[in-house]
Parts: sequence; C-alpha cells; structure tokens
Amino acid sequence: MKKPTTTKVAEALAVIAVVGLAAIPLALLASRSLAQSWYWPRLAPPSWSLRAWRYVFSPTAEVLPSLAASLSVALAVTLSAVIVALPASRALAWQEFRGKRAVIFALLAPVLTPPLAATMGVHSLFLRYGLTDTWVGVALSHLISTVPYATLMLTGSFSRLDPDYEAQARTLGAKAIDVWRNVTFPAIAPGLAVAASFAFLISWSQYLTTLLVGGGRVRTLPLTLVAFQRGGDEAIAAALSLVFLAPAAAVAFSVARFLKENQ
Amino acid sequence: MKTVKKNDSIIRFLFAIIGALFFSQTLTGCGNTATSSRPALTAVQFGSARWEEVVAQAAGGEVNFAMWSGDEARNRYYQSSVAGRVKELYGVTLRFTPVGDTADVVNKLLNEKGAGRTAGGTIDMVWINGENFRTAKQGGVLWGPFAEALPNIKHFAEDARRRDFGTPVEGYEAPYQRAQFVIAYDTARVPEPPRSIEKLREWIKSHPGRFTYLAPPDFTGSAFIRHILLFYLKQGTDEAAFDVSFDERRYQHAVAPTIAYLNEIKPYLWRKGETYPASPKEADRLFANNEIDFTMSYGPSFASERIARGEYPLTARTFVFDDGAIGNYSYLAIPFNASNPAGALVVINHLMSPAHALDQGRALGSLFPLLSAGLTPDERAAVEALPLGPATLTVAEMAKHQLPELDAQYLERLEKDWREKALRQ
Repeated sequence: MKKPTTTKVAEALAVIAVVGLAAIPLALLASRSLAQSWYWPRLAPPSWSLRAWRYVFSPTAEVLPSLAASLSVALAVTLSAVIVALPASRALAWQEFRGKRAVIFALLAPVLTPPLAATMGVHSLFLRYGLTDTWVGVALSHLISTVPYATLMLTGSFSRLDPDYEAQARTLGAKAIDVWRNVTFPAIAPGLAVAASFAFLISWSQYLTTLLVGGGRVRTLPLTLVAFQRGGDEAIAAALSLVFLAPAAAVAFSVARFLKENQ
Repeated sequence: MKTVKKNDSIIRFLFAIIGALFFSQTLTGCGNTATSSRPALTAVQFGSARWEEVVAQAAGGEVNFAMWSGDEARNRYYQSSVAGRVKELYGVTLRFTPVGDTADVVNKLLNEKGAGRTAGGTIDMVWINGENFRTAKQGGVLWGPFAEALPNIKHFAEDARRRDFGTPVEGYEAPYQRAQFVIAYDTARVPEPPRSIEKLREWIKSHPGRFTYLAPPDFTGSAFIRHILLFYLKQGTDEAAFDVSFDERRYQHAVAPTIAYLNEIKPYLWRKGETYPASPKEADRLFANNEIDFTMSYGPSFASERIARGEYPLTARTFVFDDGAIGNYSYLAIPFNASNPAGALVVINHLMSPAHALDQGRALGSLFPLLSAGLTPDERAAVEALPLGPATLTVAEMAKHQLPELDAQYLERLEKDWREKALRQ
C-alpha cells in the first residue's frame, strides 16, 4: 500500500520530535558531565573537563560494585517477578472465582499506597523477620512493587489467548511441557518481554526501599547517584546518571527489538 | 520453532545465574552474622573501661561510617587516606555507607528501635548535628553518653561540648568539624566590601539590585538574618555576659529592629525582594553570572573551592562582619544498635585528634576546629602553616570573629517572623 506524501511528512516529523525529546536531555546530561561550570545564560559551557568521568571510573566512587549490585538485584527481581506472575495472571485471566476483584485490588495495593508509607511499613516488617541489610531482603522488597505490574500485564496477554488452544494441543497428545513450549509461551512471549522489562526497570530505579531495607550494606547505583544529586556536584551527578541510564536503555531497546521481531 | 528453543536456553541460563547469586549471597550473609557474635561494648562498660582496653577491643574490627557523601574530594580523602590511617594505627577497617541526607539514617534507626532491633545494626557511627541530633536523641536511638570520656575531647571548646543548636549534647555526640559563616565577593566588582551590619545596609541602598540572601528556612539564609538579630540582641548588653539561651523579652526587643532592617533593604534587593534564591546553588549561579555581588556560606573555604573548580572568578574573596560570624559544629554519634561501638569510639577519637584535623585541613581546606591551648608548639606551627585557598581567611581571623550559635528557639521564632512580616510585606 502506498502512502500519500503528506502522511510520510507527518510521520517523519513525528519521528524527529520523538527522537528529539529523548536525545536533547541526554545530550544535555552528556555535556553537563564534561563541563567545568555551566551557568545560564551561556549556551555552551566555557570550558571542558574529564574530572567527573575520571571520578566515576575511579575505585573511590565504587561505581562498578554498585553496578554489579544493581544488576544482580534487578535480574533476580525480574525473574522472580515473572515466576510469581505467570501462574497468577493465568488464573486471573482464565478462571472465574469468588473474590477475584478483591485479589486484583490486593495486587494493586502496593502500587496505590504512597511509596514512603509503604516503604516504612515494609522496613518494619522486614526488621521483624530479620530480612534487612541483606541482598535477599532488598530483592524481596523490590518484588513487592514489581509483582503487581508483571501480573497485570501478563493477565492481559493471557486474556487474549484462548485456553482452548492449550486443550487442543493436549488432545493431540502433547505433554504439558510441550504445550508450554509450543503453544502458550510463543503466544504470550511479547507480553512476557514487556512485563519482564517493567520489572527490571522498577527494581533498577528503587532508591528509598534499597536504602532502608539494605541499610547501606547493599549499595545499588541509585544510592551513589542520589548522594551526588543532593550534594550539588552537577558534573558527577550527570556522569552517574548516564551510567545509570545505559543498562535501562539497553533493556528497553532489546525488548523493543524483540517485540518487532515477534510481530 | 527455532527462536523458541533459543529463548528456552537463555531462560535456563538466567535461572542458573540467579540461583547461583541467591546461593552465594545467602552464604555470605550467614558468614557476616557469624563473625559479629561477640557482644557489643555498652556505654556503662565503656564508662569504667580504660582507653587501652577499648583500643585493644577495637583492633581487627570493622566500622561502618554513615557519612554524607555528596562531595568528590571528601569521599576520595576519607576512603583512601583516612581509612588507611585508621587501619595502620588501630587495625580497624573503616567502611562507608553513602548518605544523601542524614535524616534518612535517623529514620532508619527509629524504625529499627520500633521493631526491637537493639543489636547488630549496620551503622557504627554517623555524621550528624542540629535537628537530626535532636530527633535522634529524643528518640533514644543514640549510644552513650560517651563523648566526655574520649581522650581527645580536651581539644574542643566548652560551647561545642555543651550545646548543639541549643540541644544539650550530654555526651551523646562528639564534636568533629567547625563551620563558620562567611560572605564571598569579587574584588574586581567590589574593591572594599561592607564589613558590618550597618555598612551593609548603606551599601545595599546605594547599589540597588546587587544584593540578596537565601530565603530561610535555607540553612545559610537563616544564618544571615540571625546575624542581624544577634546584632540587635547584643545592643545594650555587656559583651562578656552575652547569653545565647532563649529569652522572650530580649527576643521581642531585638526582633522589631531586625524585621525593620530587612524591610528597609527589601526594595533594594535583587528583583526588588519579590523573590529570593531558594538554594545555595541558585545563589552561586547568580554570583557567578554577575547578577549579584555577594554570596554566603557556612564553609569558610567554599569560595576557594569554587575558584579551583572554575566556577568563581579568580578575584573572588571572602570576608566576615566585624560584628562577628556565627559558627557551629558538626558531630559524630554512635547508633544505639551499633555492632562495633568500641571500633567507632576509636575512629571518632582519631577524627578528633590534632593530627587528623591538620591532615584534613591540608587535604580539604577544612577549618581547623580544635582549641590552640591543647596543642604542642609544633602543632601550633603546623596550624599556622595550613595552606589556605586564595579566598580563605586564616584560622586566627576566623577564631577572632567567632560568634556562638543562638538557641534553636530563636531560630524557629525568627524564621516564622521573617515569613510573616518580611516575606509577605
């Protein structure tokens, strides 16, 4: 199908606008991380320096260990969230049972409550069960806010899939694992990818929960980043922001590609 | 079909990684709790222990220092130099918990207290003062009293040991660093700055739009208006008998001319006083942009640091009012559930030593906080020789103009009156 020229122009403009919206703040961050000092109304920084980047890559900044901590927590949270969400969303989508609305509301509750109040409560609870100050505790606390999102998203995927497909495959003699591999998984894969990336990004950007539950023992990247943002060293905060952004952008990008391939 | 197989193996691989992670983290977690099985020193035990015993108990331990960590030079200095020195002198491994806001630490401790977590805490010492100290002390989340029993407490002035913004210290925190109010200006723009409260008023009126102060309750802005209050509080009072504790009658006497002063200069301020910079960063920007001629800070070396970072002109300098400059202290405290109070005591005592204060003065340009009376002649000479940045006043100059911090009640009342009678006029 051929598109009229006006549509093409409109599409091109839209692409430019979207790319611009994403690129301009990034370009600003990059230049701020390299600027000595940069005050309004100057359009460009008066002088450049690698000071911030040198600090970020020095052992003092402990950026590499924080990256490792952030990544390990986020990956564990993503996987666990998906494992919890899969059966839950399947049941929510395919089965009718009493109190289903209540279950959905309970699922949403951690997302609906103000984060500070919820976090303080989680901290007290974790203290009682001796889960604070450990990597496992931090991963568990992140699960509380990621599982609702993952479940709701996968519920959508499952509702669009007719349960009869599974029944049909089984009638034809497929084992449960084969049904999952050849029928269910391919059908919900795009939804699964989106749910997983959401879980990853939510865990990746947790600050207060990690600070309280991790007690400073579990040092993820946001902990280091926030200290510099509040400290007012803009160059280092900008450099750290870019380091913080890279893995998140990589995840979003690969999920987008995966979705395109599976279209 | 093929892609499904590929995804399958990726997922299996991820499972293996996560499994391994969980396993390894749980193991190290257990290891940690096993090593800290020795019961922590109590404040009562410390009261009757000899210092050598505390030092012996601290050796080989690990101390977690919750330190505000928003400054690159400071982080670098503490993680390499100070941690190395403490290891070498006492065999203590010093680790840092990055803190963006000390209030977060206090909240964590209060929560832990509520949950009955009275031992095995993750923080052994914390950098604190003012409001956070008051909250922590009232909440009973501090270990102590301990400060008065430290060998190096003798180097600190009586006022630092007694009150922190009006809250009685009572040995629950040990004085550590000193801050004092200075004003920065640019000699290229203002060759001779107005060095008194009175002269400042005239200067502002003859240079409309070139002066402003940070809006209280900003820490620095609040200190600026406190200087004016202090100026009127002291009028008609015997200088030597001046008392910082709150007195309603004296406050009423001084607050009227203070508010009158602020309203008198208001039309001549930057943007006619319709708005004030809300953060030090904003005031910095206005000064660097040549929109105003003065900025202020509690860090006597702040202008030198800005010059070094290329943010302020090379001709920037600082001055203090002849009427005096308010100074205060920041402190080190030990949480009630610290795992290693003995180690924390040893590190705190080290950070209060002349050797450390001199070293930090050399490394970071911090104001030397100790009394000169307790120093050896060599140390006194070293203090004299501390390198100052181009814009930093000498230790002696700062000490000569030292004014005590007023009771916190003055601060609260003045901020309220400023809001009602000066801001909204």
